[in-house]
Amino acid sequence: MTRGRETPGSPALMLLRDELLGFASSRVMLVLWAVLPALTILGYFVLPESLAGATGRGPLSATAFMALIMSSVAGTVAALLVGVDIVSERNRNVYDLLLIRPLRREHILWAKFGAVTISVSVACIVSLSVGLALDALLGAPVAGAIGDALRALASMVGVIALSAAVGVFFGMVTRSILVAVILILYIGQNLAFVPMLPGLLGILPDRFWLTMSITAALVGVIMWLAGVLFRRSEP
Amino acid sequence: MAAGSLVEVRGLRKRYGYYAALDGIDLDIREGEVFGYVGPNGAGKTTTLKVMAGLIGKFEGAVAIAGVQVTRDRSETHALIGYLPQSAGFQSWRTVESALRSLGALSRVPASVVEQRMDELLERFQLGQARGRKIRQLSGGMTRKLGLIQALLHRPRLLILDEPLEGLDPASRALLKEVIRERQRDGATVLFSSHILGDVQDVADRVGVLCDGKMVTTGSIRELVAEVDLPLEIGVEFSTPPGQTAFLSEGPALAGATQVGRGVWSVRLREGTGPAAADDAIHALVEQTLHHGGRLRRIAAAEPNLDQLFARLIERARAAGRPS
Repeated sequence: MTRGRETPGSPALMLLRDELLGFASSRVMLVLWAVLPALTILGYFVLPESLAGATGRGPLSATAFMALIMSSVAGTVAALLVGVDIVSERNRNVYDLLLIRPLRREHILWAKFGAVTISVSVACIVSLSVGLALDALLGAPVAGAIGDALRALASMVGVIALSAAVGVFFGMVTRSILVAVILILYIGQNLAFVPMLPGLLGILPDRFWLTMSITAALVGVIMWLAGVLFRRSEP
Repeated sequence: MAAGSLVEVRGLRKRYGYYAALDGIDLDIREGEVFGYVGPNGAGKTTTLKVMAGLIGKFEGAVAIAGVQVTRDRSETHALIGYLPQSAGFQSWRTVESALRSLGALSRVPASVVEQRMDELLERFQLGQARGRKIRQLSGGMTRKLGLIQALLHRPRLLILDEPLEGLDPASRALLKEVIRERQRDGATVLFSSHILGDVQDVADRVGVLCDGKMVTTGSIRELVAEVDLPLEIGVEFSTPPGQTAFLSEGPALAGATQVGRGVWSVRLREGTGPAAADDAIHALVEQTLHHGGRLRRIAAAEPNLDQLFARLIERARAAGRPS
């Protein structure tokens, strides 16, 4: 075995960098980063005047419209992307070549989770930035929208992270892509709303931080369960 | 640990529900030897190799590599092992180079060493032209070679290859056998599985035969041949065929003859015929050929048929395991 001073760093970070490269170069990301914002802009211009509010005539600014569209698809996309990827790689025995090397099974899962959460979050940032730019171009008030956009972005990242964790978990539960997709769509998407429940029920006043804390805790629990499943599974 | 053993397996059992994939395997692989692990499909070869590679953690018995239990200190055993799975999967979006760089780094090999070894091995396995190609664009054989390269990248002390010759063309098979011999000369130990004994005989010092999760026997091919009473055969080639050929199956030690080509015959000897009786039979066949006006180009005892040897060993093991 050859070892030396140039020995690479943390395996988890190496895997995260690799996974980011993989997801960033995928066609799905191209759609999320470029095609979806373009289609959303197009959609905004064909909205009925009563809804479109770029010039202050209606309730929806371009930024709000972008946030609405992204929040409706980002979580689902993140969960499906990572869930299907894990099932497919497990079926092709991709992890055998990783697991015979000195790294922990959890590293692989956290790398997948991190890469998908970051990639889909970047897509949200792109969309919201496009929305803000559009509002500025159309003369809508932008100063107040920036704060709203940041808050919307933080909530979206939470939903994306929770959805990605659910995707990782269901990717470990089954070896069938179809079953994984069904589980993610029917169970996973409902789980993504759990952190919002206390806020919606009015339990505590600061709903934003409560939601984010519950989200972080749920992500930790779901990823831990996925790790347990991975340790118990045999290739 | 037994003296000189790099791999020591004791009482290895692995069950999947009611099915026993491995049923009490004992095995010693000596440091520096090439060990062929042979058995029919479903015998348990892959399961054994996965246990050794640390991919299967739940089993009964003890498996130690260089004195370290595979379940105890996996990071230490991982550093010793290079492993080629039966179906090596890569992330299909990667290029050949990026896959090897990433796996090399995860094996804790310095980047400059990875680059040097990668260049060397890609050229060796004729994948130099494909280094920038996406893995999804590679053929099955090329992906198999890439699997071999990743196993060799960090010059492991123990090379575990699961069916390494599957899917390779004849030139690549010959190359792989050469690489295995080279690794042995460099002091490495090689363990490789196959379901074809003939594939193993060219490179293996010793062979272990596995059947239905049980070790049938271990030893060199010569020892296995001596262990099993294989019917011997004599190859006969006439330059001038004799007036009649009935004598080819009429001697006391002869069991029959088959014409396998123009003037070429394969003469079977009766079971249990020893080498001395085979020599007598050859002598008698030469005399009879001359007596019937024929001339011989070649006559010799044929090499033992390894497929037959393998079949006989498996048959014997299954008969022993069957309730009477």
